[in-house]
Amino acid sequence: MRIMQVLAFFASAWLVAQSALAQGISNLPREETIIIENPQGTITNPPWFNIWMVARGGNSTGLQQLGMDTLWYIDPDAGIDGVWDNSLAADKPQYNADFTEMTVKLRDGIFWSDGVEFTADDVVFTVQTQMKNPSMIWGPVFLASVDTVTAPDKRTVVFKLKRPNSRFHATFTVRWNAAWIMPKHVFEKVEDPTKFDFNPPVTIGPYKLHSFDPNGKWYIWEKREDWQRTSLARHGEPGPKYAAYIDPGPPDKRVILQLNHQLDIIHDTSPEGVFTLVKQSPTSQGWFKGFPYAHPDPTLPAVLFNHQVKPFDNPDVRWALALLIDIKAVSMASYRGAATISAIGVPPTGLYGKYYFDPMEDWLKNFEIDTGKSKYKPYDPTVGQQIAEMLRPSMGEQIPTDPKEIAKAIGRGWWKPNPEAATQLLERAGFTKQGDQWLKPDGTPFSITLLVEGDQRPVMTRAGTMIVQQWRQFGIAAKTQAYPSDFFPRVESGDFETAIGWSVETWGGHPDLSFFLDSWHSEFLKPRGERQPPRNRQRWTHPELDKIIEEIRTIDFDDPKVQELGQEYIKLAVREMPIIPLMSYNVFTMMDTTYWTGYPSADDPYTNPVPNWANTKYMFVRLKAAKAQ
Amino acid sequence: MRTYALYLVRRFAQFILVVFIGINIAYLITHLTPVDPVEQAISSVTMFGQSSPEMVEVMRKTLRELYGLEGSAWEQYVSFWRRMATGDFGPSLSAFPTPVSTLIWQALPWTLGLLVSSTLIAWIVGNFLGGLAGYYRKNSLLKALGILAMSLQPIPYYIVAFILLVVFGFLWPVLPISGGAEMNIDRQGFAFAASIVKHSILPALSLVLVGLGAWFIGMRSLVSNIVTEDYVTYAELGGVDRRRILFSYVMRNALSPQLTGLALSLGAIFNGAIITEFVFGYPGMGTLLVRAVNAGDYSLVLGITSVSIIAVASAILVIDIIYPLLDPRVARS
Repeated sequence: MRIMQVLAFFASAWLVAQSALAQGISNLPREETIIIENPQGTITNPPWFNIWMVARGGNSTGLQQLGMDTLWYIDPDAGIDGVWDNSLAADKPQYNADFTEMTVKLRDGIFWSDGVEFTADDVVFTVQTQMKNPSMIWGPVFLASVDTVTAPDKRTVVFKLKRPNSRFHATFTVRWNAAWIMPKHVFEKVEDPTKFDFNPPVTIGPYKLHSFDPNGKWYIWEKREDWQRTSLARHGEPGPKYAAYIDPGPPDKRVILQLNHQLDIIHDTSPEGVFTLVKQSPTSQGWFKGFPYAHPDPTLPAVLFNHQVKPFDNPDVRWALALLIDIKAVSMASYRGAATISAIGVPPTGLYGKYYFDPMEDWLKNFEIDTGKSKYKPYDPTVGQQIAEMLRPSMGEQIPTDPKEIAKAIGRGWWKPNPEAATQLLERAGFTKQGDQWLKPDGTPFSITLLVEGDQRPVMTRAGTMIVQQWRQFGIAAKTQAYPSDFFPRVESGDFETAIGWSVETWGGHPDLSFFLDSWHSEFLKPRGERQPPRNRQRWTHPELDKIIEEIRTIDFDDPKVQELGQEYIKLAVREMPIIPLMSYNVFTMMDTTYWTGYPSADDPYTNPVPNWANTKYMFVRLKAAKAQ
Repeated sequence: MRTYALYLVRRFAQFILVVFIGINIAYLITHLTPVDPVEQAISSVTMFGQSSPEMVEVMRKTLRELYGLEGSAWEQYVSFWRRMATGDFGPSLSAFPTPVSTLIWQALPWTLGLLVSSTLIAWIVGNFLGGLAGYYRKNSLLKALGILAMSLQPIPYYIVAFILLVVFGFLWPVLPISGGAEMNIDRQGFAFAASIVKHSILPALSLVLVGLGAWFIGMRSLVSNIVTEDYVTYAELGGVDRRRILFSYVMRNALSPQLTGLALSLGAIFNGAIITEFVFGYPGMGTLLVRAVNAGDYSLVLGITSVSIIAVASAILVIDIIYPLLDPRVARS
């Protein structure tokens, strides 16, 4: 018995001694290491670092954030030194008059992690290698656009394009990622670049690979001793000596790890997880100081209609369905109120308040729908305010009171539910009501199937379920159907009626909308059954839209008219309601200040904190060790 | 002896047939799935980044060629069996061109280590305690254990796992809750082995707690029946030592069905413990399988499923072969 007691004592002592180290990193000083969630989770093919191949290994393992670099970056928020950053390029792209030639000047003094100098030959090699190997990610883009690429000198690259393309530079401009530059001196020695794992990677970013888990659970990057010879050095020295990108597991575990100060940045968790952190961890902070904490990504979740399926080709039907949605209930069901709503066809994020929302507020207030029987002004500018008031009793001081802050955090207005106008619109479209059930013009019940991603994206699934409930209450036989694994391929092949997804993604920091809008041109429309290339998932075309897109193609990226044409698109999208915009894609990124401070926030929006975005490299130069202060 | 040899031949033929049918069903199901690996790969590129329509068309065509998805369904089926005959599962489509077998061999040791040990611990402890509880039916401690086992049995596994996670990962954070070993540890020597053991405590404990109940209850009821047999009563009346009666007369006879159960459980571990690996972030076949399904990587799904089919069929074959040797009653019949 005594032996058992002694053993129990030693076991307890060992456990207590281990408690501080329960989730540590061996052989690395914690105060010099930042631990970040990799949302790709466990990487199936851990030793694969050839980021130029499709779906082979991980890319948000730190590889694209800390190891790669390209010509330009556009920040989805305000940017560290403005929205636009010339990264490997020394200047903005220079086009000729008809946009058939783009010249790029490169920076001096940039070196790869193995000491070889970066030159124009690397850029030329990147383009030519991928053109020769179209199974490499950017090969098809270069094949379609580039006639020749040359390097007249060490610091100049000239692209001659196959046809006028005023947005060609976007291929080399990071939003989330972009065409990364390849080290010529490494890849030119490889027989087949499509089968080369690039392990260990030779980096051009400020960090180099330190080690990785053969089972794909973690990657550790170490600051280069010669970090001054990288493009990021213009903004200062990166703070952390080491950066670990890990798979922390499901949302509850991410919260536990941050409560234990073992995970400095959570990429995303559930709204409930954030509320727990806010209550229990004084060192955790989100993008907003208070509600909704989350970072609104420049992506616009919406109700997507398939315009090739009747009756969703009819704008009256689409508007009727929009007027049956109570966005307040959708916000509560999806994000527990922590959503940033949008009534128009761009996300309410980054600088889009300034570019689009504020200038269009009066137009929206005066916008009228004519149902044939009466005219309605459907826009209610107070919806954001109403959501704030709904949340105030339970969330107290965390809910902003300043209307400007409410507009930024929770959103501005939305469409006021109006069953009467919806009835008139449906009747004009030939629908009839029999008892509690709406019938289509052919006399069959009006049924709608709304596709959702199920457990794969619970927040959006909850939004879809709430919308379906609201349509059912009106007498429409609506239901949701979950496709966790093949949602996007199904939507892209047109095998759906309606879906909760997104087809609008913007730069966030720049007003140009061509990032998503160009692919909405009718020239790319496919018949139903054939796969529609992203991003016109709703398969909507309109002659006026084509004109807007064609005009955008002919003007410079920074032309003030870009914003004007963007507003034209928004007005057209309000009139036609091709998708029902709901809210921005809010990402609940939570940052722990126990070991590191200086994270970006809504008050200091110098970059996006969501750690799988390549722009987060800018965060590293502002991060300071907490214990050193 | 000739009868036994005939039995072996017949049993081995059955084994081959079961494996062939099983793998064919797996092939059919994986190829009927609407998830297309090429489309999944394209989605992963266009989800966030550039997505010019021309690019997508070219990418689709080149990926189909690269993955070898061209050709008729029959040609692909024949090519699959030709490869299988040499033990080659082909390249993974979500980790192209890494061979499926490489990915399986990376994950398998973790799954085997965790699941063999936890299955054996649960089996040994559950059967031992269940045997005692069935024999010493009036013992209060064993009665209490029976109640505990019955209470644990119906609790869904993920609840037990989550409770352990909260208790030992948050309330009293003494054990790691993620991964198979400490990050960046030197993967040789005692420290690495100790780290693996430490990281496996919680997942193994969750599996043992949930698995133990079934063995306990099964063994207890088997022993409860056997103790009423005449030969046990006779042995007791004859003054044979009670421990000898329990272990040699009762538990040994009750062990046969439990052994079959153990073989099936050990065979099934090649699927991995999906929920365990997910909750505890433990590396292994379960995580690999889920990722393969989501990516539409049917080469990898087929590889894992085939290994599992062969393992379960082999386990049953082995049990069937050694049963007559272990239990004379089976040999006679």
